[in-house]
Amino acid sequence: MTTSRTLAVGFDGSSDAESALRWALHEARSPHDVVVVVHAAGMLEHLGSPLPRNVTPARLIELARRCDFDERRLRWVVDDGDACSVLLRAVAPPISADLLVVGSRGLGRRDGYLLGSTSLEVAQHASVPVVVVPSNHAVS
Amino acid sequence: MVLIVNEAYDDAGHEDPGHPERPSRTGAARAAVADLHLGGDLLVAPSRTASRAELLLVHHGSYLDELGAYCYGGGGDLDQDTYATYDSWEIAKNAAGAGLSVIEAMQARDDAVGFVVTRPPGHHALADRAMGFCLLNNVAIAGAALLSQGERVLILDWDVHHGNGTQQIFWNDPNVLYVSTHQSPLFPGSGYAGEVGGWRAINRTLNIPLPSGATGDVVQRALEDLASPVIDDFAPTWVLVSAGFDAHRADPMAELQLTSGDFAELARLALSFAPRPGRVAMFLEGGYDLGALRASVHATLAAALDGVVDAEPRSNGGPGVDQVALVGRERRVAIESLLATEAGEGAS
Repeated sequence: MTTSRTLAVGFDGSSDAESALRWALHEARSPHDVVVVVHAAGMLEHLGSPLPRNVTPARLIELARRCDFDERRLRWVVDDGDACSVLLRAVAPPISADLLVVGSRGLGRRDGYLLGSTSLEVAQHASVPVVVVPSNHAVS
Repeated sequence: MVLIVNEAYDDAGHEDPGHPERPSRTGAARAAVADLHLGGDLLVAPSRTASRAELLLVHHGSYLDELGAYCYGGGGDLDQDTYATYDSWEIAKNAAGAGLSVIEAMQARDDAVGFVVTRPPGHHALADRAMGFCLLNNVAIAGAALLSQGERVLILDWDVHHGNGTQQIFWNDPNVLYVSTHQSPLFPGSGYAGEVGGWRAINRTLNIPLPSGATGDVVQRALEDLASPVIDDFAPTWVLVSAGFDAHRADPMAELQLTSGDFAELARLALSFAPRPGRVAMFLEGGYDLGALRASVHATLAAALDGVVDAEPRSNGGPGVDQVALVGRERRVAIESLLATEAGEGAS
């Protein structure tokens, strides 16, 4: 019997988010596994450029290639909301994530502090397992 | 009718250079009040901070502790949209207290409309988290205070963004009816028609998502056709309005096409939902184009006071009529599903 998993990765373009994505790409070893990269579009994003620097499908494809990951198993979703809410919604259809992957810190100047931690919030409220990837985590 | 506005408090310390949620917003709103030239019909409710006990009716104690400590530690970004500074904790408590003070002043008489000029705004703030420029949920804190006095509270939210925080806070409270018109899809990604309230408060949440480009006539029709019967059935004793003005066509945060004249009509509707005069208080939420904000606040308050409304013509002809028609159907399905689940659980 073949099992497949959907891993949803929060991605804001930060180096920690890239670490989380690299971890997910290595974790999704089965050819049936899918990695869904989820970007939360906040209120400010509506004002300026559509996507922040480093948050583009081209950047994701580049990362996938570097990790030797079949880019056909990579999905890209932009959802309105804050990072925590958007990741928690990824558990429900249409993404139906089996596992959530987040970096330990984000783009915020002091994100990762007790109050602003997306990773803590997601871990506290998620109904599926959550992996928090430490800063500068090197995938072996 | 008289207008009761909260006494100004110093909100200059809650600022992040370049951020659209900025101190000049309250300046624009207060200028709109001055434009009314009300003389003795303008009363000022004294400034005060909300107490911890008042905040605890809505927010978790651990969140209040963390927010205060975070601010006194120098502040920073709370998420990709929301910031705090050293002064933000005190300013946020003043914002919450302003709503309480205006309502206290209104309760002393029966002929006032309340307008709470506050920032940071509040309707995205969750019980345990800041979000969407919001730190403390000002309208929810005022609503919770009224609930503790035995009132039944309608919260009408016409900000262009869905008030996810307010919805979450009162999700299971049968004595609060939350009604929201908002652009969708848009931040915060919630506010769908099928969100109708929790098991103990079925039909106490009414979301009316609107497509980009929707005009004032669509919003008015939605409130008259969909919200009015639900509000009549609920029979509120108080009406609190999350009065955001970012649905104005000039606002950079979204793409609804309302004019200041449309907000005047929304104000008239809000007053029609109240059981008697003196029971409508409006809270400033969004609104980021200062000119549109000033004109819209002015038109809103002039209409609420039954005065001469000098405003832009009302907008009409935009999309959304079909989408609004579907809201009623989606709500019925969601409500029947919840009731069936409840009946099944009761039978088992």
